[in-house]
Amino acid sequence: MRRSRFARLAAAAVLVASLGAAGCGRDDDDNGDKAGTGGEPTATAGFDGTTISLGVLTPLSGPVAVIGQPLTAGNQVWFDKLNAAGGVAGKYKVKLVQRDTRYDAPTAVQGYNRLKDETAAFVQILGTPIIQALLPQITRDGTVAGPATLDSEWVRQPNLTPVGGPYQIQAVNAMDYYLRTEGQGGSKKICGMFQDDPYGEAGAEGIAFAEKELGFKLAASVKFRQGDKDFTGQVTQLKNAGCDAVWLTGLPTEAGTILGTAAQGKFSPRWIAQSPVWVQALSQSPLKDYLEARFWVVSEGPAWGDETVPGMKELIAAKAEYPPKRTVADGDLYFTFGYNQARAMTAVLEKAVENGDLSHEGILKAVQEVGTISFDGLGGDYEYGPIEERNPSRTSSMFAVKASGPFGLEPLETNFASDAAEKYTFE
Amino acid sequence: MTDFLQFVFAGSALGARYALVALGFVVIYRATGVINFAQGGLVALGAYIAYHFTDRIGAPFVIAVLAAVAACAIVGVLIQRVVLARMVGQPAFAVIMITIGLLFVIEQLIPTLWGYNSHNLGDPWGIKTVDLAGLTLAERDLWTLAIAAMALGGFFAFFRLSRYGLAMRAVAIDQEAALAQGISVGAVVAVSWAISGMVAALAGVTLSTGATAVSPTISFIALAAFPAMILGGLDSPGGAVIGGLLIGITQTLTAGYQPEHAAWLGDNFHVVMPYVVMIVILMVRPYGLFGVPEVDRA
Amino acid sequence: MSTPAVTDPPAPARSAPLPPRLLRTRTSRVWALVLVGAYVLAPLTVSDFWLSVLAYAGIAAIGAFGLNLLTGYAGQVSLGHAAFIGVGAYAAGWLGADEGLPLPLWLLGAALIGGVLGAVVGPFALRLRGQYLVVVTLGLVFLAEHVFRNWRGLTGGNSGRAIDPPASFGVDFNDFSLGGFAASRAQSWFWLIWALVAVVALIAANLARSRAGRALQAIRDRDLAAELTGVDIARTKVAVFALSSALAALAGALLGAYQEFVSPSEWNLVLSIQYIAIIIVGGLGSVYGPVLGAVFVGSMPRVIEEYSSSIPGVSSGAGDDGVITVFALNQVLFGVLIIGFLIAEPRGLTALARRVAARVNRSSATPARTTDNEEET
Repeated sequence: MRRSRFARLAAAAVLVASLGAAGCGRDDDDNGDKAGTGGEPTATAGFDGTTISLGVLTPLSGPVAVIGQPLTAGNQVWFDKLNAAGGVAGKYKVKLVQRDTRYDAPTAVQGYNRLKDETAAFVQILGTPIIQALLPQITRDGTVAGPATLDSEWVRQPNLTPVGGPYQIQAVNAMDYYLRTEGQGGSKKICGMFQDDPYGEAGAEGIAFAEKELGFKLAASVKFRQGDKDFTGQVTQLKNAGCDAVWLTGLPTEAGTILGTAAQGKFSPRWIAQSPVWVQALSQSPLKDYLEARFWVVSEGPAWGDETVPGMKELIAAKAEYPPKRTVADGDLYFTFGYNQARAMTAVLEKAVENGDLSHEGILKAVQEVGTISFDGLGGDYEYGPIEERNPSRTSSMFAVKASGPFGLEPLETNFASDAAEKYTFE
Repeated sequence: MTDFLQFVFAGSALGARYALVALGFVVIYRATGVINFAQGGLVALGAYIAYHFTDRIGAPFVIAVLAAVAACAIVGVLIQRVVLARMVGQPAFAVIMITIGLLFVIEQLIPTLWGYNSHNLGDPWGIKTVDLAGLTLAERDLWTLAIAAMALGGFFAFFRLSRYGLAMRAVAIDQEAALAQGISVGAVVAVSWAISGMVAALAGVTLSTGATAVSPTISFIALAAFPAMILGGLDSPGGAVIGGLLIGITQTLTAGYQPEHAAWLGDNFHVVMPYVVMIVILMVRPYGLFGVPEVDRA
Repeated sequence: MSTPAVTDPPAPARSAPLPPRLLRTRTSRVWALVLVGAYVLAPLTVSDFWLSVLAYAGIAAIGAFGLNLLTGYAGQVSLGHAAFIGVGAYAAGWLGADEGLPLPLWLLGAALIGGVLGAVVGPFALRLRGQYLVVVTLGLVFLAEHVFRNWRGLTGGNSGRAIDPPASFGVDFNDFSLGGFAASRAQSWFWLIWALVAVVALIAANLARSRAGRALQAIRDRDLAAELTGVDIARTKVAVFALSSALAALAGALLGAYQEFVSPSEWNLVLSIQYIAIIIVGGLGSVYGPVLGAVFVGSMPRVIEEYSSSIPGVSSGAGDDGVITVFALNQVLFGVLIIGFLIAEPRGLTALARRVAARVNRSSATPARTTDNEEET
């Protein structure tokens, strides 16, 4: 008897605990009575009748936080501006609910499960491996998510709302630009240097397509791993192959050492880098002169501060009026990406409000009906709709390095779409 | 041939950095009998402190390096005094895990203080080079070799000639006997931690020279330096240096030649090459090249 | 932590006859009932979020039982656990998703592959002693990652692969319904995973109390003496390494199938360290420690995240005010947790729980206190 008192206590504790846990979860989503089209949307998962909650699953820590932080700040600035103007459809304010994924799939799965029943949609889920891990569940649950990666795999996913021209488009456009400027005549040797991960592979796919479409062949192709400290081996291979131009996918830490090794080894090809390679610190490093002479970056949208582009003017004003709490460098490409992404999600939500249905199902339906979304020149238009008709932006912009320019860059040609990029078909 | 020599030179510079990290491991191992997993954290901390002095405070580079060395020595001693002093007499496994716990703490401290972005260290060598006999030698690599040589020379002089060095050797052989001889084991252990912090800071500084090389991922270096340490033998300072150079040179040679001549080994084989070398050597010599076998005492 | 399943549910009611000692006293009978009740009811009351946290924790517990046998009982420290977890995940992908074998076969197949690999690697690794073993098993993680990244046909290379094996065993755990009741995937996988936790726990507990278990502890404490009393050290070590690897692979298979997608960067050193932390926090060499440790280590970061907004100085989102991010705080706490447990309570949560229990019991003072439901450490 004496011992069973303890047992009873324990039993009670477990029961209380399970009730407590029950209290903090299991909000019923997708409640049955859907409002008909045209009426006011009724309260549902992530929408209490006045405020729409949107989920953000992004690395706010770890090496990839350099991307997640400014990107989320871009999301936030757009919604700050939108809320000040009344909100979605002029009346529904938007609130972001963030969860740190650390760029780790299990953490992201748990974060997704935490947020899915209390958010209307996910404005941002960052990282190819993360989205791949979540996609089966997203599809099962019928939620909508904006992938923050430029991988082309998302184009044909009904539940995803990517923005921007995929890496493949960037690679094709950059090669096209090179071949019609410095690389004229086609006698130049083009090489590639790729980070050995899905991001590097997306760049490699784009180059492979460009090879076919533009009629050149990589003279050499080398790989490296994030965290490598010495690149003499790889750079020597490129140098020995006599490369005139090298396509580079990587991240800033490794890129700094790679470019340094090349500069020290008197190897000066035309470097053409995918946007994540670039950080402003590179233009302030000892490599400044080398980079100003030999380095291009491909990305999308106009140069920071180009107020002839209406979208840019608005973005600069919004950033000044609703400054991110943690400083984001002017011209940070991820910041603009996050801003565009929030804008695309807003268009979807407005469509859903018009249909009078902000449930997960209603938002998914809105994605199929929202049509083309324009970014006012901050990037190419993106056509949503039924999956087979979706068509991502085909435009890219080329930048050269100029230490005194915004974000250390200077535009060479902005928002152009090559014929080859127009032809690219997404599976 | 020029390529080969160029690879060997770059490999030696990389190996000198590994050697500095591995020497830190060995010094701690001799004093406490455990591998210090937090060493990588100290390396990154050294790099960031130097960066903080050059960039945020505007101090001359030499001052920044000395400050980093001093700061890491202090952090090393603090770790020993505050945390590890409580673990005397505990099994090695528990102490190792504590150092892993410390690594987690330090690895978060760095981005919390300095952010996740890559920065420029602001060293005077930049991308300058020296031409010698057909080879192009980077100044940052030459200086890395010089700094490593000075640090290692200093360590060995201290280790062989000073009273503390003698005490360190005595403690490594038998703590209790050393204690009975009137050696303050606590002080010796503290000095060992200070030395380990100092070489860690130098490793961090030499790793983060050049462009945008100051980043939290610097601490990964320790993972590649483990094989260097094991290769030479856990308790052999000389072995750490030889192991470091061996691993560094093998790694650059692998990166230079494997993609072309042994592609079947897979992409980026150079990343695992240190471990392959380590495993092969341990199969032949279970205590590394210069390590002393543990004696079984039942 | 408001989760009902903080301790492992013993086998579900329908499973094989239970060892009598589990139901010998009234207390243990009540406990068993509570745990079975929690096991059955939790998925009906707990949100999908906590179910996913508990699912990962259950998977980790299965892998941790293996590591606990190797490290906690036999005293062989391995940082290579992550490699075998990865092997299990890809084995599930091969046998389950590619070959379409049924659930029991791909689970057992994954465990078998892990076990065989462990038995092959073991003799080489276990020649080494102490900290040489630690670093060599760390090397295993890097070598395995290299293979995973390059064996594209099986693993999908860097991009990773989907793992969607059939999950039916009498019932389909992906799409479970009974009468009018249709369970969500989260609910059915909770039941599947925690039933397996119970099975593994019973096997581990019986093994630990057997002759073999005592031989392991003898190797850990005094290996020469153990050899003199007739323990074949080399064979016993390799056997426990193989068993530990098999359990790791089993956990990996479940992880892959539950998560439905895996990529090579997941099987890294940090994962191995997490498993070591689990067995430390749970209590090294305690029978049910892995479950306590897994639930604690798995849910602590989530709990902190939930309440981070009310912790001063912690930022829970990009651009929030605060000196430290939630993640940084969690990692620091993770580190501090390991340090704290090793310094203050090396025998982990198990010992802590037992002390609390003892205190509660003492308050209702009983001189004739039996110890039959106490676990040996």
